[in-house]
Amino acid sequence: MLSPKRTKYRKAHKGRIHGNAKGGTQLNFGAYGLKALTPARVTARQIEAARRAITRHIRRAGRVWIRVFPDVPVSSKPAEVRMGKGKGSPEFWVCRVKPGRIMFELDGVPRDLAKQAFTLASAKLPVDTRFIARVGGD
Amino acid sequence: MSDITVLTAAARERVGKGSAREARRQGKIPAVIYGDKKSPASITLERKLLVRHLESGGFFNTLFDIELDGKLNRVLPRDVQLHPVTDVPEHIDFLRVSSTTRISVEVPVEFKGEDESPGLKTGGVLNVVRYNIEVSCTPDLIPTSLVLNLSGAEIGDSLHISAVSLPEGVTPTITDRDFTIATIAAPTVVKEETAATDDGTDTEASDGDSTSESAGEETEEGNDS
Repeated sequence: MLSPKRTKYRKAHKGRIHGNAKGGTQLNFGAYGLKALTPARVTARQIEAARRAITRHIRRAGRVWIRVFPDVPVSSKPAEVRMGKGKGSPEFWVCRVKPGRIMFELDGVPRDLAKQAFTLASAKLPVDTRFIARVGGD
Repeated sequence: MSDITVLTAAARERVGKGSAREARRQGKIPAVIYGDKKSPASITLERKLLVRHLESGGFFNTLFDIELDGKLNRVLPRDVQLHPVTDVPEHIDFLRVSSTTRISVEVPVEFKGEDESPGLKTGGVLNVVRYNIEVSCTPDLIPTSLVLNLSGAEIGDSLHISAVSLPEGVTPTITDRDFTIATIAAPTVVKEETAATDDGTDTEASDGDSTSESAGEETEEGNDS
């Protein structure tokens, strides 16, 4: 799964996701992409599940780009522990995805196959998505 | 470049986000025409018509004649601002051009001869490095596309700009090197998926904005099992 190699701080605030994506909203690498339409914290596990769904569906062909990276640590307290006594320990990594963000890109496969692969990937993600194709890329 | 589409535009009296949003609400796209040592003109165009041109491809290397107050302006689209979520065009920049001005323009690459490439026939993957190539030419000579012939390309071959025959008067803006347009990558073997038990081992990390991989390289699955 994706995670930072090293971080400046171990724990981060929860934060809120406001507004639309400012960058990463257009295709940069491949001919097809999966665009997020709603905001969400996408975990490294979900990104990995979506990536596997894509690579297994397209089998031997194509190339996949992951355009999001989970760099926000999420902490949690153990079960049956009273409140207080400080923040819990970091448990997993998430990426704050804003609407408009291209999360995955794909190239080297036919359009239908790309669309099917992204449909499978979308089912693994906590965001609504839309299939994007490069103009004249069919 | 023989038949040039004429677009009818209306001048915008007010500029700024208020009037621009009003225009968008009325199904129009605010735009600007600048260049050719004349003062810029703020205009609006019909969205439906523009979207059709945008989706047909090759928008940025197509000349248009914009009719404004009874006068025709020969223009080349330079920039389109899209809504980040809906991808609806929000604003367009047009550059006024004259027949003598030399401009740099991005031209899409068309790949041909895929059936005659032994590399692609044996399962190789066409890895496109550049979908568009920036060329320098006069407006009348802008090519609609540049054709890259893939016939005879083997696995591991790189196809460079020198393989493209450019029309007379058209030169690439990158002249210091023979840059790559596409490569034929080797097919990758998919390992049989064994019982994938995700032990949470970190096998991948990224330094940049995106992580890329060949789809067949199921190294992560190999480590997980």
